[in-house]
Formats: sequence, structure tokens, C-alpha cells
Amino acid sequence: MLTDFSIITQLTLSGALMGLVYTLIAYGFQLTYATSKSINFGQGELVMLSAFFSLSLIDRGLPFAVVVMGGLLFGTALGLVVERTAVRLALEQKNEGWILLTVIFGLLGFSVAENLYGRDDRPFPTPISADAISIFNISITPLEISIALGVLTIMGIIELFKRRTLLGKAFAAVSADRDAAELMGISATRIIMLSYGLSGMVAAMAGMLVAPITTVGPTMAAALILKAFAVAVVAGLNSGMGIILTGLFLGALESLASFYIGSGWREAPGLILLILALALRPNGIFGHAVSRKV
Amino acid sequence: MLRVENIHAGYGSSEVLHGVSLKVEAGKIVALIGANGAGKTTTMRAISGMIKPTQGRIILNNQEVQGYDGAAIARLGLAHSPEGRKVFGPLSVEDNLLLGAYSRLPALFGFRKHAAAELNRIYELFPRLHERKNQVAGTLSGGEQQMLSIGRALMAQPKVMLLDEPSMGLAPVLVQEVFKIIRQLKAAGITLLLVEQFARSALEVADYVYVMEHGKIVLEGLPSEMNKNERVLAAYLG
Amino acid sequence: MEFLATRFRAKFSMFKRLLFIRGAELLVLTLLAAMPVLVNSTYALGLLTLLAIYAILLIGLDVSVGYLGQVNLGHAAFLALGAYAAGLGVSLLELNLLSALTGSLLVGLILGALLAIPALRLEGPQFALATLSFSALTVITLNELEAWTGGAQGLSINRPHLFGWSLDASAFYWLCLIFLAVVWLIMRNLLTSNWGRAFEALRDSPIASNAMGIGVYHYKIAAFAIGAALGSLAGGLYAFNFLYLQPQSFTYELMVILLLGVVLGGRKSLWGALLGATLIVLLPNLLSNRLVFQIVSATGLLFSIVTINRHDARNKPFQTFPPVAAMALLLAGSMLAQNIEDWRKAIFALLLFAVVLGLPDGLIGFITRFLSHLFRIAPPVLATPSPLDDVLKTKLAHGETLLEIRNLKCYFGGIKAVDDISFSIHSGHIHGLIGPNGSGKSTAINVISGLYRPTAGTLLLHGKALPHGSLYQVARTGIARTFQNLQLFGELSALENVMLALKDTYHCPLPLLLLGFGRADERRAQADAQALLALVGLTDYARTPAKNIPYGAQRFLEIARALARKPDLLILDEPAAGLAQPDVQRLIAIIKQIHQRGITIVLIEHHMDVVSELCDLVTVLDGGKIIAQGTPEEVKRDPQVIEAYLGAAVDTH
Repeated sequence: MLTDFSIITQLTLSGALMGLVYTLIAYGFQLTYATSKSINFGQGELVMLSAFFSLSLIDRGLPFAVVVMGGLLFGTALGLVVERTAVRLALEQKNEGWILLTVIFGLLGFSVAENLYGRDDRPFPTPISADAISIFNISITPLEISIALGVLTIMGIIELFKRRTLLGKAFAAVSADRDAAELMGISATRIIMLSYGLSGMVAAMAGMLVAPITTVGPTMAAALILKAFAVAVVAGLNSGMGIILTGLFLGALESLASFYIGSGWREAPGLILLILALALRPNGIFGHAVSRKV
Repeated sequence: MLRVENIHAGYGSSEVLHGVSLKVEAGKIVALIGANGAGKTTTMRAISGMIKPTQGRIILNNQEVQGYDGAAIARLGLAHSPEGRKVFGPLSVEDNLLLGAYSRLPALFGFRKHAAAELNRIYELFPRLHERKNQVAGTLSGGEQQMLSIGRALMAQPKVMLLDEPSMGLAPVLVQEVFKIIRQLKAAGITLLLVEQFARSALEVADYVYVMEHGKIVLEGLPSEMNKNERVLAAYLG
Repeated sequence: MEFLATRFRAKFSMFKRLLFIRGAELLVLTLLAAMPVLVNSTYALGLLTLLAIYAILLIGLDVSVGYLGQVNLGHAAFLALGAYAAGLGVSLLELNLLSALTGSLLVGLILGALLAIPALRLEGPQFALATLSFSALTVITLNELEAWTGGAQGLSINRPHLFGWSLDASAFYWLCLIFLAVVWLIMRNLLTSNWGRAFEALRDSPIASNAMGIGVYHYKIAAFAIGAALGSLAGGLYAFNFLYLQPQSFTYELMVILLLGVVLGGRKSLWGALLGATLIVLLPNLLSNRLVFQIVSATGLLFSIVTINRHDARNKPFQTFPPVAAMALLLAGSMLAQNIEDWRKAIFALLLFAVVLGLPDGLIGFITRFLSHLFRIAPPVLATPSPLDDVLKTKLAHGETLLEIRNLKCYFGGIKAVDDISFSIHSGHIHGLIGPNGSGKSTAINVISGLYRPTAGTLLLHGKALPHGSLYQVARTGIARTFQNLQLFGELSALENVMLALKDTYHCPLPLLLLGFGRADERRAQADAQALLALVGLTDYARTPAKNIPYGAQRFLEIARALARKPDLLILDEPAAGLAQPDVQRLIAIIKQIHQRGITIVLIEHHMDVVSELCDLVTVLDGGKIIAQGTPEEVKRDPQVIEAYLGAAVDTH
């Protein structure tokens, strides 16, 4: 009985830590959804491309801090490119074409990675140790701790930026009332661009955090992104910190599911939750309905 | 300070303004009155760049601004307190006010210090906003939201301010309150273009009046002249 | 003589049109059917079979992507489910060919309807996400249920006999072709009926669809289930074509290819789906030969440059040049890439990118414009209007109470938008509802018409309680309305907007309709709708998409569409807003005409002259309460009304 309990705790903990990565990517969706009511369906490829880019920096023997900074900058740049080449074109025409365009962008990114870096999975060397340490009979690796720290740090910094700086408050203004924000001299177009930049940066961070565990390859983010979608939708695309709880919960759930039902079913809980959440609460558990005027 | 020359504008394929011209001199209050649907709000929206005029010129402080977007016009010193107030509901009162000064404050750090003097002035003008500065704007009453909307526009230290239907949906007592504020603004020398349904009260505070019908200015003059005009009598009392 | 000549010309142009369209269908079908005899190549036969299967698949996908206008990322899953259903039906249940295919169809129909229920309330990104998850979940399930599906190892199938015959490759191809022909006919009949219009209407304005008695709920489920059923039918054929199934075949990449097929071929068109299927079947061949690929991408580049609209290029360069850039990149890639096959996904992406932005109507849209220009094919002749008396029967109105509103309240959070109002509307009256902005007029009629649910109060129509909070159900009781912010079905023509809303016109049951017996209803609907368009003076705009007609005319179209509901009570929400003076006069004349037919009208209006001229009785609202009621003259003299609404610009005394 005791061992059972410790297995469950172990699974819950390591799953939940992984779940924080889904939270981080979902956070990127929230950033852009708030300002423009759009998300990047090719975000997974952004995670993957950024991981490849930082891997190539590592291969050049650059120090780890530079690698991290470089990766974040690269992700930001990609986010800006997505905004300019896909999202804005469609939003200017006021249709749903952006979904298709971001899907296309993802496919293009995938193909580029496949051809430039090859289809094999490559290890991502990191100075952080993957040797488990044991606390209260539960083993945990510094690598896993670094994920939690990394996720919470970058989300904390962005949240501070959004709450404490005027530019950050402008994000909230654009999402509350775009027209009124323009009247204050806030350029909504620029804020949307910036939100895609931040979203790209967050994706890059997620890529670098999971890369040591999942290894780096073109398909590294395929499963990850589905669960990030699930977290974003279940918590609500327009609600704040509910994604942290949802991410922890989903991570734990899938780790338990893969142990007790079979590893192939690992992705299933997230997908089922997503469909259920959409059916029962389309605005998310923590979200709120937005009424429509006629 | 603000000159509008023969602008045409509308939404999609429908033209609402068929050549509107008006002028607001520095330090004056100009009222724009007319029936619902005459095009008053559309005129305001065209001036502040929310819609682009298809024809005509808008000159703000000796600079042609037609075709600029809203953000650019705001940076040139035009503030607009829109119809329906449009405060940022999820943000606090103070954040709303700070965002009003967005175009002249540093974007990242130290903006509070820069804005402190102006912020205090607004709080002196509207003590009620000071009491509620940390409250979320969406939970304010209609009258308080109107104060906030005006205060937010003032934060920009505008050269010209547009005030669209400040009394809309307010109880009569609050309407009087709003006009008291407008008189205060007048005393402070603010240049103001005012759109108002309560034509009588608007005539009392204004220095000059334009009357709009069906997307055109049909009459203009001093408030004293308007008070005697047959056409105004007919239009407003049937 | 003159008359006969016109008649003849009309008949001739109709004949020419029919000859072209039906002729083309027959010609293509004959050609396709003759192929196995003409070309003796197993490879070509394989491609042709796949073409027929993909065409069915894409016709299904087009229902959601084209007609519903939603990005559907779950269609590959229905292909997979149909394929496995057929495969398992044969291997486990030993079904014969036709029963197995029926099984596939049913699996898609049922699962499609089930998935539609959660996906139903969703639009845009949420819909895409729901279908994407369903897709991923399907692949996982197929992989994991190894005992049945063989998991990643795959499932081998034997092609069962058809009525005791074993089918060789050409016979199977002909079978697929027969299925395609049947699907084509059925879908043509369905999509050219009121169903097709309803599907499109859902996308343009769900609110107006409900208000016109088109239940968004039913039609969305139906559309999605039909699309899914076609997808899984194609899946069944797919299974018996390849005789080997693997979950990995139904990936995201396949989904993108299918979307490419629909968008490139042309949305909302059976021909588009066929063309799209042809292209995606040929794609692998295109990629395996560098020279062919270079020629194709060069042609694409030229095409994208030639079709640039000069006007747009100057005003919106960022909207215009991306397709050209994408095609140029493709051409450059075809010169530089070592192995074109490796860049397959990037090529699909660039092609799709160019098509989405540069050719939103797809190839078929372009070809249709080109052909009808070349052969001067006139658009179909419209039916002559029915007599107006047949469409809108004159009702007798005795002034009895038609709608009674008792203690109605509607609060939003703390805001009392409508605060305890009671009044009655008498039959045969034009009842005005006026008040300042934000006084609760719009909320009141939104509650009456079912858009909002009242906080408290009673609504009685003909003494019977009105349904609460459902536009659709209220619409079916005999109340019709227009919208202040126009809610037209923008992609549909003016005539179709009215046809869609017609009540008591469509009698043909669905099965007969699918077999093509809906034509009589359709002609009748066209004639009736023409009569209503004539009533509001929009005959000239009959064929114009609603979004392209002038603003004033759009307001009148809303009225004609509401009249198609043959209402007892017609609610007009600020019909004169934004109208120029001559149009206001026309509006007054139209409202008078409607009134003469015994239809009771509730008129919300700001123009006091309109209200004075038309209304028998006026109710004035302020702050959610009634402050005055009476004839227009009485109301205008009421001091409270002057204070709150009319504005006391100067004192009359």
C-alpha cells in the first residue's frame, strides 16, 4: 500500500512538472488571444525551431547563458514573423483565414527543420544534472526542478511587465477595448505584434526547457502542442493564472494514465479534456463569457 | 486650433457625413447638436481617426491629420472621450488614468513619477476618482465612469478635447454634475468640442454652436442666436 | 411578337446554360468511365480510383470548410474511421461489400453528429481545436486498440465480393465512380436547395438564422454529420482500394493536403472538389519530376503576377504581393533544392499560402468567370414574381390585444436595462417605441424576440406565453424582426436572403429532395421571394450578394426578409438609421403598404417625423421605465418626454 502511494506521488510530481511546460506554451496562446483573438496554430514548430537554433549555438561552443539569450531572441523574431506574414494579413481581411495561415506556417517550419537539421532526434546537452536526488523517498532531478523554475521565472517576468509597466498595461487596454486604446494613442497593431513576439519568446523558452528531456527533433513538439492547446482551452483562452493549475493537473493525469492504462494512451486525457471542456464550458473553467451585441 | 473642412465619411458603403465643416478656436467650447443619427458621433470619430474620411481636410494645430490612424492623432494632442465612455473595465481607475497619458509618458519605467502632477490635478478635480483609485473601472457607477472617461482624456494634456454625449444614460442629477464639470473645464481654458443630446444645457455652456441634420451642418451661430432661431425651435420641440 | 422573342431568348439562354453544365457533367463522367478501356495501365487506374475516392472525401470536407466556413482539421479522422469500420466489418463480421460501405457511412454519420454536439457552439479557433483533438484522439485509439486494428502493425483486408462477383481493379474503379456520381447528384440537390442556403447563412449570421426560423442547432449538426458521413464513405472505399490500413497514414499532413485540395479547387463547388481531388492525386507525380515541377511553379508565378489587381496592389501591397512571393520562392526552391520530394511539406505550405491569399475562390472560381465570359453564358433566368396577395395574405385586424407585456424586467449584472415595463400591442397598429440612447428600447425588443432571456415578467402573444430566450422558437410563433446593426447573410444574394426565410414554402421531404424532387418548391420560393423584393423595390439587386448592395437597400432587404416569415407581428429596429432623406420617404411608403396588409408593426425609431407620420400609439422609455404613452401628438407635448428625450433646446412658452 505504501509503495503504491509513493508510486502515485512520484508519478504525480514528475507529471505535474512536465505539465508546467504545457502551461508555458498555453501562456503564449493567452498572450496573443488577449490582444488579437487569434493564436498561432504553428506554435509547436516555433518551439521546435527555437530548440534547434539553441542546439546549433551549443554546437558552436557558446556559453550556456548566451545560448539561452540567443534562443529567446530567435523565438521572439519568429513570433514577429508569424504575426506579419500570417496573422495580420488575415485579420486585416477580417476573416478566419489566420487559422489556415498559421497552420501553413507551422508546416513550412517543420519542413525547413526536417531538411536543415535532419529527421533524427538529437540530444540537447545541458549543464544541469539529470541525476536524481531523493527527497522523502521521492526522486527528482535538478533538470525537472529547472523546468519548474524556468517556467515560473519567465511567466513571472512577463506578468510583472504586464502589470507594472505602462506598455504592459496597454496590453490590457487593447484587449479590453481596442478602439478606446487607439484613442489614447496606443497603436493596437504594435501591441498585437509585441504580443506575438512575447509569445514566440515563451515558446522558445519552453523548447529549451523540454529539449534535454525529449531530445531535439522535428516532431519533438507535436504531442506537446496538443496538450498546450488542451491546457489553454480547458483553463480558458482569456483567463489568467488558471493555466498553472490546469497544466499541473493535466501533467499529473497523463503521467498516471500512461502508467496505469498504457503509455500509448499518454496523450488521450488531454484531448478528451479538451473536447469535454469545449462542449461544456467553451470559455474555459476559469474563463468568462463575452456577450455579443446586435 | 481644430478645423474641419468639407469631410465626407461613413461606414462601409454608406456615407454618413456629406461634407461637414467646422472650427474650434483655442480655449473655446463648441457644441455640436442635432437629432440622433444626424452624424454627430461619426463626425467625432472621423476627427479622432477612428474612421478615415473619404474626402476633405482635418487640420489640428496647423497640421493636416486626415488619414492618420487614431494613435497618431492622439499623439498630436487630440483627446477623445467617446460615446458610451468606454473605460477599460478590467483595469483599475488609476491605470485607466495613466493610460490616458500613454502618448507622453515613458513606456516602461518611471511613468508614475512623470504623471504624478497631472494625476493629482485630476484627483483634485474628481475627488471621487481618488477615493476609488484602486477599484476596477468596470464596477464604477455610470456617473463615475463618465468622470473617469473625462479624466482619462485630460491626462493627455490635450490641445483639443472631444467630448461625446457625456450625459448619455445618466440620471438627471448626474447630468447636472457633468455640466458642472464642463464649466470647470471651460474655466481651466480647455479647448472642447462637445456633442450633446441635452441641447439646452449644451447651449448654456457653449461659446459657439453647430446644428447637424442628415450628415450636414445646417446652422451655426452664437448660442444667443440659436435660442431665437425658428428652425432650432422646430427641430427640438416638434 | 416582342414578348415571344424575349421568351425565346430566355428559354434559349437557359438551354445553353443547362447544356453547358449538365453537358460538362456527362462528358466528364463518360470520359472517366471510359478510361480503363482507353488507357491500359494499372498505375493510371490506381490514380483514377484514388481520384474518385478523394473527390467524395473533398465534397464532404467542403460542407464544413466551404459552406459552414469553419476550418475543419478532423476530416482525415473520418476517412480513417470509415476505412477501419469497413475493414473490421469485413474481417470481424464478414460483411459483404455494400454492407461494409454502409457501415462506414453510418459510423461517420453517427460520430460526426456526436462530435458536432460539442463543436456546435464553437466558432473559429475553438472549432479547429476541437476537430484537431478529435483527429489526434482517433489516431491514438486506432494505434492502441491493437487487438482489433493491429495497431501500428496495420490491418490487412480482403476485398469482399459484390453480389457474388469478385471485383478486379477496373470493376472496383467503376464502383467508386458510381458512388461518386450518386454522391454528386445527391449533394447537388441538397446544396442547391434551401439546405445549402441555410448552411451558408449559419456562417454569415447565426443570430439572423435563428431569427428567420433556421435552427442553427439542427443545421449545424446536419451539415457536419453529412460531411463526416461522406468522409467515412470515402474511407470505406479507401480501405477496399489499398487493402491495407495503418493509423500513421491519417496524419496532420494528410489533413493539410485535403484542405489544400478544397481551397485550391474552389470552395462551395462540387467541380471545385473534383478539381482539387485531381490536383492532390497528381501532386506526388508533380514532385517526382523536377522539370515538371519547375514548369508548374513558373506557371503559378506567372499566373499570380497576371492576376494581380492593380488597384489593390497600390493600396494594399502587403495583401497583394505575398502570393507572388510564395510562388517565386517555390520556383527558386525548384532550382536549388537537392531533392524536391524532401521539401514536400514546404511546397504544400507555400502553395496553400498563395492560394488562400491570392485565389480565395479557388481555380474553379477563376475558370467559371473565364468560361462564362468566353461563351457569354447568361446567369439563370429568375422566376416571375408571384402575385403579392398569394405571398402576403391580407389579414383582418380588429385592434384586439396581440402582444401583451407584463412586468418585464431584464437586468445585466447591476444594470437594470429594462425595469418593470408593461404595455400591450394591438393588432393592426403601428406601435412606436422611442427613448434616448440606452433607455432600454433595444433590450426590450431583444427580450421579446428571444435574443435575451428576461429576468422576470410575462410575454403573451395571442394570449399564449412566448418562449423565453430563444430567437428560433420565437421566430416560429409568428414574430419577425429586423436588426439595427444589419444582420444580412452577406455572401448570399438578395433573392436568396429572402428565399431562405420563406415560411410555408418548402414542402418536399428530405429523401425526395435528395433525389431531385425539390425543384418545384425552389421555383415557387423564387417567385414568392421576387414578389417581396418587388414590394421593397429591390428587384434590380436580386442577384447581387447582400454585402455588395448599397446600405439603404440593405435596410430594405432586411424588411423583405422579415416579411418572408409572413409574420403577425413585425419588429423594425431603427429602420431609418443612416438613411438619406429620399430613402426615408420610401421607407415610410413601404411601412404603410405592409400595414395595409394587416400586419402589426413595432417601430423603434429616432426620426420623430417618421414616428409621427406612422404610429398609432407611442411608448416612451427612459432609464428602462415607461415615462409616457399615447398618440404621437400627446407624447410630443409631454413635459417629461421633452425633458428626457426630445431635448429642451429652447422653451416654447
